[in-house]
Amino acid sequence: MTNIAVLTAYVIVLSLYVNLGIALYGIFARPSLVKKLIAITILSDTANAFAVLVGYRWPRNALPKPPVIPELPVTRRVLEEYTSSAVDPLPQALVLTAIVIGLAITLFIAFIIIQYYRLYGTVDVRKVRRI
Amino acid sequence: MVTKIDVFVAISIAIFVLSLAYITSLGGLGPLPPVDVRDIAYQYLNLTYNPWRRFLTSFALESVTAIIWDFRGLDTLYETAVFYGAIIASIALYRGVKITHSRGGTGLSPIAKTVTRLSFVLIPTVAASVALHGHLTPGGGFQAGSIATVVIVLAIIVFSRYFLPGHGLSKERALLLRSIGLLGVGLTSIGLLLISFLLGVNAYIFQNQAKLDAPLSYPSLVDDYTLGGSLLFFNLSEFIAVAFGFMIVFLLLSVSEEDVREVVTRD
Repeated sequence: MTNIAVLTAYVIVLSLYVNLGIALYGIFARPSLVKKLIAITILSDTANAFAVLVGYRWPRNALPKPPVIPELPVTRRVLEEYTSSAVDPLPQALVLTAIVIGLAITLFIAFIIIQYYRLYGTVDVRKVRRI
Repeated sequence: MVTKIDVFVAISIAIFVLSLAYITSLGGLGPLPPVDVRDIAYQYLNLTYNPWRRFLTSFALESVTAIIWDFRGLDTLYETAVFYGAIIASIALYRGVKITHSRGGTGLSPIAKTVTRLSFVLIPTVAASVALHGHLTPGGGFQAGSIATVVIVLAIIVFSRYFLPGHGLSKERALLLRSIGLLGVGLTSIGLLLISFLLGVNAYIFQNQAKLDAPLSYPSLVDDYTLGGSLLFFNLSEFIAVAFGFMIVFLLLSVSEEDVREVVTRD
């Protein structure tokens, strides 16, 4: 593992924190429901990227590999190399599930916001509160 | 206009982000990038395709798909159900909206339409390939469905919202096809269980390969082609379910505003 890899990992983590901050600001401070929805998607994407990062690894004596067995037939050597260098597939699987459910929720919220706009002519929470 | 509350929220969040960064710099997340994975990851990686542990493996080359549709298949069934429910709820919001006639939209130029017609063949081919190889390479049913959705969005934008219903792909038919996809997922999950009733042997829900006390298996190898057992059927069913689920959503999103307002204001 090189110093560049370590530096890159810290830059990615810092970027995710900044993303988290932007998303929280959008959710708490922006009055528009559309911008709140955009901020929620940024928040969920940040959480997903974090989950994938948690499952990443850079083995000491090899380069990291994706969780896909590269060749057939699968011999004991292939399997050993694979288990010792592939990244954790579980967070990736959970993130895929989270993306689908997040998308379903986002779509539903988007429909509700559109419906709100049709009924009340605004998506500003300060005005919506008074209705 | 920036209010005092905005400034307070911004400063609070800045302090929060800086605190997280400080904790990370002290080693709060452990070594970065991580040098090793957890024990459970070793188990999943080791059992993805392991001919020496036949009762525990899934015989797929791609660990993520093996986890999604085999090791944690029940989670994915519920996830698909959530997606299905969200689309049903979205349709419920649009109940009573009828698309009776075109309001004059004829789409973009003939050049754009010709190029898009080519993509009508190419993009679904790529999507089908991603679905069919989901157990061998990165991809799967959801990814393939998302790719196929590009065609639907292109058709709506380039040819107009009335193009797909005019060619027999109405919202109702898309809902039927989506239900068939979900039915495929359900049937694949209980496929071996149904056969086991006929044969009088033991089997489990979401069983892919034979277990110690359940001898039935989905085919894992056909003429040198690795099928991954039930994973291929799951991916194909999910592909159909997701593609037509998205189609319903985009058809609803592109409903003409006048059509909806007539219903909304009437209520």
